[in-house]
Amino acid sequence: MVKAATGKVVTLAMVRVLLFGRLGDLHSDDRINIELGSEVQTAADVRNQLSNEFPSLGKALAEPQTLIAVNQKIVDANHQLSIGDELAFLPPVTGG
Amino acid sequence: MSEVLVSELDFDLGEEYQNLCLDLPSVGAVVTFVGRVRDLNKGNEVATLELQHYPGMTETLIQDIIDQAKQRWSIERARVIHRVGKLEPSDQIVFVGVASTHRGDAFSAAEFIMDYLKTQATFWKKESSENQSQWLEMRETDLAAAERWKK
Repeated sequence: MVKAATGKVVTLAMVRVLLFGRLGDLHSDDRINIELGSEVQTAADVRNQLSNEFPSLGKALAEPQTLIAVNQKIVDANHQLSIGDELAFLPPVTGG
Repeated sequence: MSEVLVSELDFDLGEEYQNLCLDLPSVGAVVTFVGRVRDLNKGNEVATLELQHYPGMTETLIQDIIDQAKQRWSIERARVIHRVGKLEPSDQIVFVGVASTHRGDAFSAAEFIMDYLKTQATFWKKESSENQSQWLEMRETDLAAAERWKK
């Protein structure tokens, strides 16, 4: 929720995008807010929008080994997003 | 005590061992594993290792791995600690401990947990030497190690 200039509170249809590992280095910030709309409804749509704006990030997001999680659960790219969702792009893990 | 801990703080192996068998007289076997930061990785001299993770999801995934191990083997108690943040060569990164009645279960479960943790838990390592830093890539050997438990 944000307070508009009129003082009225408006709810924006946002999802929060998190970029982990090397994906975070391909963008100025590893957290991005994206607005849902008629063109942006699924995880794949978010990926496409980011690809248009940031081609090198888009290329890495589209790699088959990059996993997608919504609200911390692995989903596939055509997962329908809801307002307030947390969408994370996960490159191959390297812990241990 | 929770079975999973992700923390910037170091851990004490002796203390973890004591906790694994505390008040469990049926435990006849305790296997512990400690992973440490190496000073050389693929020929590069490592100055620091930065570990990033996905808070919340990481703990859930590790707990799920422990639960899978409990379904496959007889385990009295298990514990996984994984450190995050900035680490240096010789620092401890990861602890896996399993207590069971007999050693076979403890050995297998500890190895299973470690193999799955390496390929499934949401951690990412960035290695820095004097003049460069890079995110590490997953190793084929780690994938193969996890894959063999599926047979």
